[in-house]
This record gives sequence, structure tokens and C-alpha cells, in this order.
Amino acid sequence: MKKFIGIASFLLLLVGFSCKKENTATPAEPVKEITGSWRIIKALRNGTDLTTRFDFSAFRIKFSDGNYTIENPVPFIVNKPGTWKFDDPVYPFNISFRTGSDSATSAIQYPVVGGVRNLVVSFSPGCQSNIYEYTLQKEN
Amino acid sequence: MKYFKSTKIQNYLVRILATMIVVIIISCSMTIDSVVQPPSVNGGEIIPVTLNVKIETNEGQTSKLMIAVLVPKIWKASQKIKASFTSSVSSGPQQMTLIPAGTAAPKGNGLDWPAYLANKIGNGGNLINDWEWIAFYSNADYALGGNKTETATVSLQIPTTDDNVAFKLGYVVANSTDGLSGTDRYGSYFTGCFRVNGSGDLIDFCNPQLATVEPRTSQDNDIVTINFDAGVATNKLETSSAIYLCGKGFTTRGDSVVVCAANQQSKLTSLGAGRWRMDIWPRQFFMQTNDTTHLTRIEYYFTDITGNVKVGYGGGNTPFVFTFKCQ
Repeated sequence: MKKFIGIASFLLLLVGFSCKKENTATPAEPVKEITGSWRIIKALRNGTDLTTRFDFSAFRIKFSDGNYTIENPVPFIVNKPGTWKFDDPVYPFNISFRTGSDSATSAIQYPVVGGVRNLVVSFSPGCQSNIYEYTLQKEN
Repeated sequence: MKYFKSTKIQNYLVRILATMIVVIIISCSMTIDSVVQPPSVNGGEIIPVTLNVKIETNEGQTSKLMIAVLVPKIWKASQKIKASFTSSVSSGPQQMTLIPAGTAAPKGNGLDWPAYLANKIGNGGNLINDWEWIAFYSNADYALGGNKTETATVSLQIPTTDDNVAFKLGYVVANSTDGLSGTDRYGSYFTGCFRVNGSGDLIDFCNPQLATVEPRTSQDNDIVTINFDAGVATNKLETSSAIYLCGKGFTTRGDSVVVCAANQQSKLTSLGAGRWRMDIWPRQFFMQTNDTTHLTRIEYYFTDITGNVKVGYGGGNTPFVFTFKCQ
């Protein structure tokens, strides 16, 4: 009987000390960082892939702290330098560009593809019925 | 069992079975027996259309009647078409309502009616990919008895715009239970080339074109695809091994810019079988750097490398014309 009580007490202690408070804190979503130079890696017009049909290779958009510049423009939401901002720095759904008195907003996605962060913007540079979707990738 | 092994008996059984299948197939059919519409209207007028529909049933069913119309997108007709019908199972005119986009079609694998119709029925031979199916349901459900033949006379009022259009109108009749699940469950009808005598460049969906531009409605800040199909009509570049674009852009300033050098920037890409393509940003191609100046239209030819052999509209010497405008 004494042996049984001893084993039971040991198991009880083991169970008691093995309990640890669960860490339920949600990891903080990082602020979406787009500073740097981005190039077009995919371009769709009304769902038609134009990536290899039109020369997008020289286009660059360079984001810095609240500002952007564009090199070798192609039909895009903006073609002149200016300022930019997300509607939400952590969970952005839209990006706004302002150049002089003009402004334009694009819906964005921010997927990671193959371990690389992409920025997908959609807009209409000409007729509103023509929807373009560019996938931008940051240059190293 | 001996009877069933007899060739004669087997033949009878096959015939009876075949007859039963045919009876089932025929007795489920929906058909558009005829379409009454004018051959043309003037731009902006309404096209009055009458569809004479026959419905044959083999078993009782309660469903809504579905009518769909194939029209050019440029008409923006979805909210404007008026659809109604009279039938042998109802009294007086019966109203129909546009089926909202995104409403799943029955047995359509999740597709809505416009997508389902585009997949299953197609474009009716319209060669420019700028059309849409617009579908309507009857406001009421109708109970049809088994082994009955019923008729419906559908009335459609289709509005047009001032655009100059040649288009093959299409119609489909089906019901809200069977959808397009079998060729016997719906009827379709495509007309010949219907003309709207409007203004501006002719938008010809009916006839193969030497040159086409996509998207059909574009501005000078779009990426515009210019296609040349050398095989559709006799022309001087049918056998050319390289094709170049020679164009003149007209601006809102009232002046024009000619770009007509045969070089890499103006060279079309061969797609094989006499088909060529080029994607341009008109503002860049015609060197428009001033933000306040826009191109209103372009006139263009296709040339060989020497620039001496030119092909324009209809294969002749008149340039093709594309006007920049949105719907």
C-alpha cells in the first residue's frame, strides 16, 4: 500500500509540474515594407497575358519613404513621380498615388510567391473597361 | 431465354428501345422555331424581336422560362432590354426579369448564366470578342403537364446605340430546372448579319477582317493590339515574310504625327498561317509626351520592309481607321 501511495504521489507531482501556461499571444503582423526598386514580372490586360508581348523590361518604380519615382514608363496607374501611401500599413488593400494635384488608387495584393514578396496592382490607364493587372517584384 | 437469343426478337427489342429513347428525347425538347426581326435599324433605335418557341414535355415539371440574347457589349443592353411572352399555359403577357450576374445557372457547375451560355453555346460566329449573353427568367414559375406540347411567343425590345455595327444576334430558350444540361433541354437560334446603321467606323463582327484592334474600345494610354490576318482576303502582302505598321496619329491639338519607318519598333510578330500581331502603346508609338495632348484616332497601313507595298482597308489603298473612345 505504501508503495502504491508513493508511486501515485510521484505521478501527481509529475503531472502538476508538467503543466505550463500556454502562450496565446498572436504574433504581430509586420508592416508591409515596399521601399526599393520594383519591376514588372507579369502583365495582364483584361485577362490576356501581355508579359512577353510588350516590352516592360525597362520599367521601374522606386518607392522610398512616402515618395516614388518611375523610370521608363509604360501604361500604369501613374506616370509621374509623387507620393504614395497604403490605406492600412499592416493590412493594405489599396495603394494611393499622388502626383501634383492628381491622385489615383489601386487595389493591391501582397502575396509571397516562391519565397519572394510580390505586389499585384490593378488599374485602368485608358478606358475604364480595360483592366490591367501588373505583378511587381522587388529587385535585389 | 431461347426467345431472347433469336435474332428477330433481338432486333425488335433494339427497335423498341431506340423508339423509347427517341420518344424521351423528343418529348423533352425546347426549340426556337422561328425568329422575326428586321434586317437592320438605324443607330439608337430599338430592335423589335419575336421568338416563336415550342416546348414538348414527357413528364410534368414546374420551372421558370429562361430567354437569353447575344448582343454586342457596346450596346450596354442588360438593364435596357424589355422581355415578355405569351404562352399556351398562361393568360396575357408574362413579364421577364434580368438574371443578375453571378446567379448560378442550374446544372452549370457554378457558372452564372452569361458564362454558362458563352461556354456551351458560344459566340454565334461573331469574330470580334466583344459580345455578351444577357439572360432573363420569367417572373413566375409554370407547371407543365407530361407529354404536352406548349408554345410561347417571346417579345424582346433590344436597344442599340449610335454605333455602326454588323452583328449576328443570338437567342437561347431554356428553363430554370434543366439549364443547358442536354441539347434537347434548350433551343438556340442565330440570325444572319444584323446591321445597325449608325455613325463612325463600322464594327464588323460578321466578316473576317484583314485588320482588327483589341481592345475594341481603347484610349491612347491603353496597350493596343493590332492584328493583321493576311489570309482572309486577297492582298499584296499575302506572301510577305515581314510586315510593318505605317501609321498616322491625329491629336487633340489638331495636328498629326506620321510613323512609317520599317524597323524593329514597327515590325509585327508572326503568329503563323498568315497572321501577324503587334502590341503598341499609342502615346509612345506616336511620340506624344505632352500630358494634355491625346490621340483621337489613327490611320494605318501594313507594309513590307521597303515600305513600297502597302495594304489598307479591304486590301486597297485606303487606310484602316481606329478611333480612340470608351464605351
